[in-house]
Amino acid sequence: MDFNWTEEQAAFRAQIREVLARTLPENWEHIAHGPASKEQTVFAKKICADLAEAGLLVPHWPSEWGGRDADPWEAFILAEEMWMAGEPRGGQYMNVNWIGPILMLFGSELQKETHIMPMAKGQTLWCQGFSEPESGSDLASLRTRAVKNGDTYTINGQKIWTSYAGDADTCFLLARTSDGKNGISIFLVPMDTPGITVRDIPSIIGEGDIHEVFFDDVQVHEKWRLGEEGQAWEIIGQVLSLERVGIPRFSLASKTLKDAVSLLKKEGRFTGAAIDQAAKAHAACEAARWYSYFIIDKRAKKIQAGPEASVGRFSTVICERLVSEFVVEHVPEAISGVHPMLLAHHQRGIVAGVASGAAEIQLNIIATQFLELPREPR
Amino acid sequence: MDLQLNEDQLAVADAIDKLAEDFSSSPVDFHGFALVSPELDAALEEGGYFEIAAVPEMGAVSAAASTTRLAQLPYTAEVALSMLVRPHLDIELPRPFGVIENGRPGRFVPQAKTLIIIDGDNVGIAHPQEGDVEALPESLFAYPMGKLVGTPEVKQLDAETAKTVKTWMRVALAAEVAGLMQAALDSTVEHVSVRKQFGRPIGTFQALRHRLAECAVLTGGVRWLALKAAFSGDAGDAALAALHAQDSATRLIYDMHQMSGAMGMTLEMDLHLWTYRMKALLSELGGRGGQSQVVADECFADA
Repeated sequence: MDFNWTEEQAAFRAQIREVLARTLPENWEHIAHGPASKEQTVFAKKICADLAEAGLLVPHWPSEWGGRDADPWEAFILAEEMWMAGEPRGGQYMNVNWIGPILMLFGSELQKETHIMPMAKGQTLWCQGFSEPESGSDLASLRTRAVKNGDTYTINGQKIWTSYAGDADTCFLLARTSDGKNGISIFLVPMDTPGITVRDIPSIIGEGDIHEVFFDDVQVHEKWRLGEEGQAWEIIGQVLSLERVGIPRFSLASKTLKDAVSLLKKEGRFTGAAIDQAAKAHAACEAARWYSYFIIDKRAKKIQAGPEASVGRFSTVICERLVSEFVVEHVPEAISGVHPMLLAHHQRGIVAGVASGAAEIQLNIIATQFLELPREPR
Repeated sequence: MDLQLNEDQLAVADAIDKLAEDFSSSPVDFHGFALVSPELDAALEEGGYFEIAAVPEMGAVSAAASTTRLAQLPYTAEVALSMLVRPHLDIELPRPFGVIENGRPGRFVPQAKTLIIIDGDNVGIAHPQEGDVEALPESLFAYPMGKLVGTPEVKQLDAETAKTVKTWMRVALAAEVAGLMQAALDSTVEHVSVRKQFGRPIGTFQALRHRLAECAVLTGGVRWLALKAAFSGDAGDAALAALHAQDSATRLIYDMHQMSGAMGMTLEMDLHLWTYRMKALLSELGGRGGQSQVVADECFADA
């Protein structure tokens, strides 16, 4: 075992920091209050293009799609640095982490030609049409329907809690083509298709972040169906395994904790319970960090991680909670906006157990697949 | 970065696994607390396992992983301190080690050839003579516990060596707790998988499943922090690992006993062997408050 970064990995991290220091605007702290805010989305288009230019947007993609086949470690280092900096890529992180890779695996030539290079150049934003009013954790119960007529589908239904929908160019949409779990299909739908209506839902986690999306007789040609009819569940399995250890949340949580401690120290307030709680939160961040690195190491060695990825995700949820609670109790002025980056973390941190799937589902997976407990009756 | 065991470390892990086989179940007629195995101790001594931390190809990571594995056995021996503290001292000290912290009874004190004596910031070393220590066979802690009754000569360590001792004690504690947590968890998973109520195994109820899953997450975290601290030998890493170990074990012990019900209260189920070892470790080195202070000093020094 070797817990040190290689020279190449350290140099790569330094390069990212140098580019970010050069590129982030002076008022970045005030822009970076939510990955989906208007200002951040506009800025993301600029910085993603710059990152692409510097070879720092999709280095882990194959060279034919604008990458250089960098290993999973470099992809994760990149994700850590971006997330720690307040995620200047905005919603485009999804393109980099899983939408691009999934299209490479399952997309037709046309789909790949149309969509992958704009992602690699940092020119396009996607949203994820998964959750519905009646289908959250029970995703397989979704009711948005795609009915085929000739070579075209007519899509009707409603999505909700959709991040980035307000500015997205394309939706990675799940819709039902027949009954049951294996009756769900994926469509790549331009958001300017007639019949799509997006409504902003005000939220605690910042403006422009979550939406309702309505589909009224939306016409989508079959050439924009990803994979076969009914293949969504299989494809989503791959998406989720990429997403579970997708965002290195412990990186920003850890930095936020240090920043909060630093503020308290300056004011002579880092004493008593604050010390105990900070230490506990720090330990939780490091536990999440090393468990996540363990998963990345497996990925780099092409060893299947399986349910361990859920253990990694849940440890991240614990550390986000402890850091958020620490800030609320000991640096409450942050929640009133006195420290913008601490507030930005709060708004990101509180969704850790909700975004990309309820954490309790991870606990179900751990119980069944990792601990191999007898299954619950259905 | 490479988070898989290397070939030499894997060879050690395999050998430890093999060695552990003979000690993997408690004797049916044992209904006590301190299930000590001199044979396990002798086998480890003979195999040279107490020296592996000093072998560059294996290192403290291998010693920590071995400590974690051996802590999962129902039998105990003085493994953790000998594997992880002893090789990091410049002085040659006879094993087994025992610990006396602030005058309280400690583990392995009755048979210790070397006592680590902690009084606040001071750390001393003593070699007890006959009559210096007294065994406490009534203790519920599932280690051989004993107290100091005589006044052996105590050699105080300089501040730097004292810090080294405490750092590696923290690594040893975390590595051992990782194994104890795993064993208690495995034992409880087995219980809830077979114990039926309301016509089905109680492990099918979500009220238990989620708590078990959370304990599995905590156990994995303690294991990784212990390995990281063993690799770096850093005082801050060691304190983080020990803190996470004591904090996580506190919760896990409660949950495992709760889910094991009355069965877990009996001495017929082995659960207490692991939980009452963990309970003995919860207070060591100042407990969570003590570790937190070191984390504040070492990890937040430049904050």
